Amino acid sequence: MTMEEVLKVRGARHRYADKVALDGVDLDVHAGECVALLGPNGAGKTTLVNLAIGLLSRQAGEITLAGGDPRHAATRRKLGVVQQSLGFPNTMRVGEAVTGAAVRAGLSRGAAGPIVAEVGLTDLLKQRVVKLSGGQRQRVQLAMALVADPALLVLDEPTVGLDVPARRRFWDLLAERRAKGTGVLVTTHLIEESAAVADRVVVLANGRVLADASPDVLVDRLPDRTVSARTTLSGEQLSRLPGVVSVDREGEHVRLTTRSPEALLRCLLAEDPALAELRVEGAGLEEAVVALTKASGTVVAA
Amino acid sequence: MSTMTATTARVLRVEIADDVRAIVREPAALFFSVLMPVGFFALFVSLFGHQTSDSGSSTGTLMVATFGTFGVLAVTLLNPAISVAGDRERGWLRAKQVSGVPTLVTLAAKMLAALPYALAVLVAMAVAAALNGSLDAPVGKLVALAAVLLLGSLPFTLLGLAVGFVASPNATSAILNAFMFPAAVLSGLWMPLEIMPAFVQQLAPFLPTYHLAQLAVAQLNGGPVLVHILVLLGMTVVTATLASMAYRRGRS
Repeated sequence: MTMEEVLKVRGARHRYADKVALDGVDLDVHAGECVALLGPNGAGKTTLVNLAIGLLSRQAGEITLAGGDPRHAATRRKLGVVQQSLGFPNTMRVGEAVTGAAVRAGLSRGAAGPIVAEVGLTDLLKQRVVKLSGGQRQRVQLAMALVADPALLVLDEPTVGLDVPARRRFWDLLAERRAKGTGVLVTTHLIEESAAVADRVVVLANGRVLADASPDVLVDRLPDRTVSARTTLSGEQLSRLPGVVSVDREGEHVRLTTRSPEALLRCLLAEDPALAELRVEGAGLEEAVVALTKASGTVVAA
Repeated sequence: MSTMTATTARVLRVEIADDVRAIVREPAALFFSVLMPVGFFALFVSLFGHQTSDSGSSTGTLMVATFGTFGVLAVTLLNPAISVAGDRERGWLRAKQVSGVPTLVTLAAKMLAALPYALAVLVAMAVAAALNGSLDAPVGKLVALAAVLLLGSLPFTLLGLAVGFVASPNATSAILNAFMFPAAVLSGLWMPLEIMPAFVQQLAPFLPTYHLAQLAVAQLNGGPVLVHILVLLGMTVVTATLASMAYRRGRS
């Protein structure tokens, strides 16, 4: 894999009136790499993405997209974007959407053919996009974003509302493109999904980068363990047990986060003779991100 | 032609095709902007078309200019504005911006896509007047009338875009209709100013719609045009500035 930078952000600062949205952010996405941008609402993700794709003018810092300035239209032709919920014009057909994207990218209408086949839209060309399922519409967006073989693909909550097969297909398609050198920047609230697909995770809060590492490294930094079990103990009883950081309950099933799993297990077994389905696991990326943002004093959105 | 110019021209064609298809495939949207003005014109021209105006022309002929002004504005003020408001609300405008399409190309396409419909309104009105036997202008003057109205609609289209950049599609429609209908009545687009109350006659010269209508009438009857052109040029500067400010506000 080449390590050419397709997106380079250095010292990006941005403010809206009296609110600092970005406070000296650095971010790199290399060719073929998938970087997940995570963080609570208001962390600065949208501002950072809008700067990266040229929709906002930078106030301070340096931003390079595929070697050029993202504010220039010619540079943005090396960019593909998949929005969370793009509303297509009511009357637009699939074929028109993809060929239109090809022409807007400076290509011939015929350039749409291969990508239409690649994302499996050949049978849907005459369909109105608004009549398609959510997964099919996302594939149309993906075809539009990929038609010009972009250096960088920016995905905003790309799989929200998709079922599991549609999600798998979406990420499989992207894996093929990444293998050819397309860099991917994805913003999502589906943290465990990003753990599965991202090479690197960048956690943003209060306009600053809290962490920039692989998902495994982030999780390994966290000493917490998760203990799950079926128990009749109340939430209040559970929260008093040694080392318990958080309690999630669903009926009789509980999920406890702790830094002292051994001590917790001894107490659980002593206090609830009927304890069942006991499991101890390492924390996931979600717990790692929550811990990071909590440590920074950020209120984490649900 | 440079590569950049050729690409821009191809993008413009695609954008116009998208907008024209959107109108053709949902013709119901044209009811208020095409059928209603033409229907009103047909009714009024059948009632008053054969009367003779102070200038000696038939009222039916002058109504092609005045009612035609209303008909052209109904299309060119509303259609691009509602279209851009819808594109913005759906995120489609953003998708085009990040794809590298210059916003001016998107806006030019919306303006140009409306022109065939505006022209169709004028042709329908001229045909209605001719069928009624009250059209007594040569084709050359009618062509000049059409050219003036289509070109003169630019500041009004820019006004519509300024609203469409910040308001929802429904609000855009409401705001622009709230401007257009009173302006049409007070500028003598529906009924001759001569039969209106004195205060309306005094108010009319302060309305840009009056100046566009008078410029159109001048193509049929002759008469001064400079003051009307200057007013419309001034309005173009103002509405272009407003549209630019609204675009930046809507984008940030």
